[in-house]
Amino acid sequence: MNVAVNVDAREDIPVWLAYGTPVFTVLAALAVSAIALVVLDVNPVAAYATMFVDTLFTEFGLRETLTKAVPLILTGLAVYLPLKAGLFNIGAEGQLVAGALAGTWVGLNVSLPGLALVPLMFVAAAVAGGIWAGIPAYLRARWDVNEIITSLLLTFVALAIQSYLLRGPMQGGTGNFPQSERFSEAATIPELFGGVHAGLLVAVCMVVVTYVLMTKTRLGFEITFVGSNDEAAQQAGMSKFYVYLLVFVVGGAFAAMGGISEIAGAQGRYRAGFEPGYGFTAIPIALLGRNSAFKVMLAGLFFAVLFVGGSSMEVAFGVPAALVEIIQALVILFLITAEFFKSYRVGIDVKRGPAETPAQPQRGDD
Amino acid sequence: MVSFIAGLLDATVQAATVLLLAGMGELISERAGVLNLGVEGMMLVGALGGFITTVLTGSHWLGFGVGILLGMVLALVHAFLCITLKSNQVISGVMLTLLGTGLTTFFGSGWVEESIDGFPQMTLPFVGQYLVDIPVIGEAFFRSTATDYLALGLLVVVWYFLYHSNLGLEMIAVGEDPEMADTMGVSVFRLRYLAVLIGGGFAGAAGAHLSLAFSQLWVPGMTAGRGWIAVALVIFAQWRPRRMLVGAYLFGLLDALRIRSQSISLTVGPDAPLAGVINPIVEFLMNPQIMGTYPYLATILVLAYAVIRTKSDQLAVPSALLQSYSRETD
Repeated sequence: MNVAVNVDAREDIPVWLAYGTPVFTVLAALAVSAIALVVLDVNPVAAYATMFVDTLFTEFGLRETLTKAVPLILTGLAVYLPLKAGLFNIGAEGQLVAGALAGTWVGLNVSLPGLALVPLMFVAAAVAGGIWAGIPAYLRARWDVNEIITSLLLTFVALAIQSYLLRGPMQGGTGNFPQSERFSEAATIPELFGGVHAGLLVAVCMVVVTYVLMTKTRLGFEITFVGSNDEAAQQAGMSKFYVYLLVFVVGGAFAAMGGISEIAGAQGRYRAGFEPGYGFTAIPIALLGRNSAFKVMLAGLFFAVLFVGGSSMEVAFGVPAALVEIIQALVILFLITAEFFKSYRVGIDVKRGPAETPAQPQRGDD
Repeated sequence: MVSFIAGLLDATVQAATVLLLAGMGELISERAGVLNLGVEGMMLVGALGGFITTVLTGSHWLGFGVGILLGMVLALVHAFLCITLKSNQVISGVMLTLLGTGLTTFFGSGWVEESIDGFPQMTLPFVGQYLVDIPVIGEAFFRSTATDYLALGLLVVVWYFLYHSNLGLEMIAVGEDPEMADTMGVSVFRLRYLAVLIGGGFAGAAGAHLSLAFSQLWVPGMTAGRGWIAVALVIFAQWRPRRMLVGAYLFGLLDALRIRSQSISLTVGPDAPLAGVINPIVEFLMNPQIMGTYPYLATILVLAYAVIRTKSDQLAVPSALLQSYSRETD
C-alpha cells in the first residue's frame, strides 16, 4: 500500500472555511485546554460552564467583560492597522504603557474640570503612545530596520521606565508600593451605564473610525495597497514612508488610549503590572479579526470573556488563571494551522498494491 | 574593593551563562532562517521540567537532560508551524512564549515549595585548584557550576560547527539563500528542522541551568525576561558566535551592576563644578530600573547602526530570515 500526501495551493477559499475558521479555532483551543483541566482533576464541563455562564449571564460578569474589552479592543486595533499595511506591531504593550504613564501624569498634575481633564489625559496618552510607536515606524520607513524587533524591544524599555517612575518620581499613596497617587474625581473617566466606564465609548468609536478609514477612504485603500504590494504601490505614486509611519503612530495612539482607559476608568490609580499583557493578547485578537475592524471588536470581546471567566474559574475551582494563557496560545496555534488549510488543499491518496514508483517528490513538507 | 570586583565578576559569569546558552540556540535557529521568539517559553518549560525531574529522581543531570528535551518538544511545534505549514514565524514564536508561560504557571504552582540539590560549585579537574587562586578573577571564573563550563565549551563547539563543518555551513546557506541551497542538493526542510530543534534544546538547557544551578528553586515566570534579552543578544552580536561571547558577558555585567548599583557611588562631590547638573543625571542613569533598559537600547542602537551604515546586501542578518520556503514547481 502506498500512501501519498498531496499539497496544492488553493485558488480560492471555500465559504465554509472562511467563516468556519474562527469558530473552529476557538472550539479546538477550548477542547485541548480541557486536557489541562482533566490533569488537575477538574471537570472541564463544569469549569467551562462557570467560565462562560457566570460571565455572560450575570450583571457582574457582563460589567467586567465590557470593562476588560476596552483595552483589548484598542490594543487589537493597534496590531490590526499596521498589519493591513504589511507591518507587524508586537510592541502594543509598550505603547499602552507609555501612553498610560503620560496620561496618568497629566491626570495627577493638571487641575482642570473633569470635562476637560479626561480628554486631555487621552490626548497626552495618544501622543506618548504615538511617539513610542513612531520610533520603530520611522526606523522601518526610513532605513528598513525590522519593526518587529524594535517595537518588541521598546516594550521592555517602556516596562522598565514604568517601574522606575512608579518607584520614584510618580510613586504615591500609602505604603511603599510601586503605584501612583489615586486619581481625583475630575481625572476619573465617568460612568457610561451600569458601572461600565466611558472608555467603552472611545473603543467603539475607534473601531468605527478604523472601519470607515479602511473601507471608505482613499487612505485606507493606500494602506491596503502598500500592504499587499509595496513596490507596485510606490510606482502608483503612493508614499510607503507616510503609510508606514501613519499606521504605526495611529496604532500606538490606540494602544495608549486602551492603557489610560483601563487606569483612569477601571483601576483608579496606576499600579505597576496593572494589566496581564493586553498588548500581547492583541496579536491573536488582530489575527482573529484581520478582515475587519468589527471582527477585531468581536475578538476583543471574546478574549475579555476569557479573562473574566478565567478569574471566576480560579476562584470557583482553585485552578490557576494561567489556563487563559494556554487557551490564548492554542487559539493562535489553531488559527495559523487553519491558515495553512485555507491556502492549501491537502489530499491523501491511498493506492493498493506494491509501490511501483518511488514516492513522488513531495511539495511543501519533508 | 577587590572583594566587590570579585563578587561582581562572579555575578557576571552567572548571568552570562543563561544568556549564552539561550542565545547560542537562537543564533543557530536564526542562521538557518527561522526566528524563534519563543525562547522565554522554551526556557520556562525547560526550567520546570528539569526541576520536577530533579525533585523526583534526585539527579540534576537527568533534570538537565529532561529540560533540554522539553525545550526541543516545544521547538518542534514551532518548526512544524513555520517550516511545514509555512506560518508566520513571529506569530508562532509569540504563541510559543504564551504557551510555555501558561503551561508552566498552570502546572508549576504546586512545585514552588520543593527544594533540590542542584549543580554544586566546582573547580576544573587537575588544574582547578591553581586557577582558583588567581587573584580577583579566579573564584569568579574557575569556581562555577558544571553548566557554566559547559556553556563556554559549547560556544566553541557552536563556532566550529557553524563555520568549519559541512552541516553548519549548509545551515548558513539555508538561512541565506534557500533556493540555491536546495539546487545544490541541501535539504532545506531537514536542516531548518534540525536548527530549530537545536535552538529549542539550548533554550531548554538555559532554563534548566536557571532552576538547577543558578537559583536552585522553581518560581513561575522565573526567567524574568531573560529569553527576550537572549533574542536581543543575537542581534547585538550580529549573528556571530564570537561577538556573542562578548555580548553575553557585557549584558551579564550590566545585570550584575544593576543589582549592585545602590552600593556604587559615581556622583561627584557637592563642590565640584556643575555638580547640580551632573549628579541627578548620574543618579538617573545608575538607577537599577533604568539600567534594566540598557541591553535593549544597546541592541536597538547596534541594529539601527548596522542597518544604516552597511548596504542592505552586506548586512549580517541572515537574508532568508522570516521567509518560509516552498518549492514552487509551477
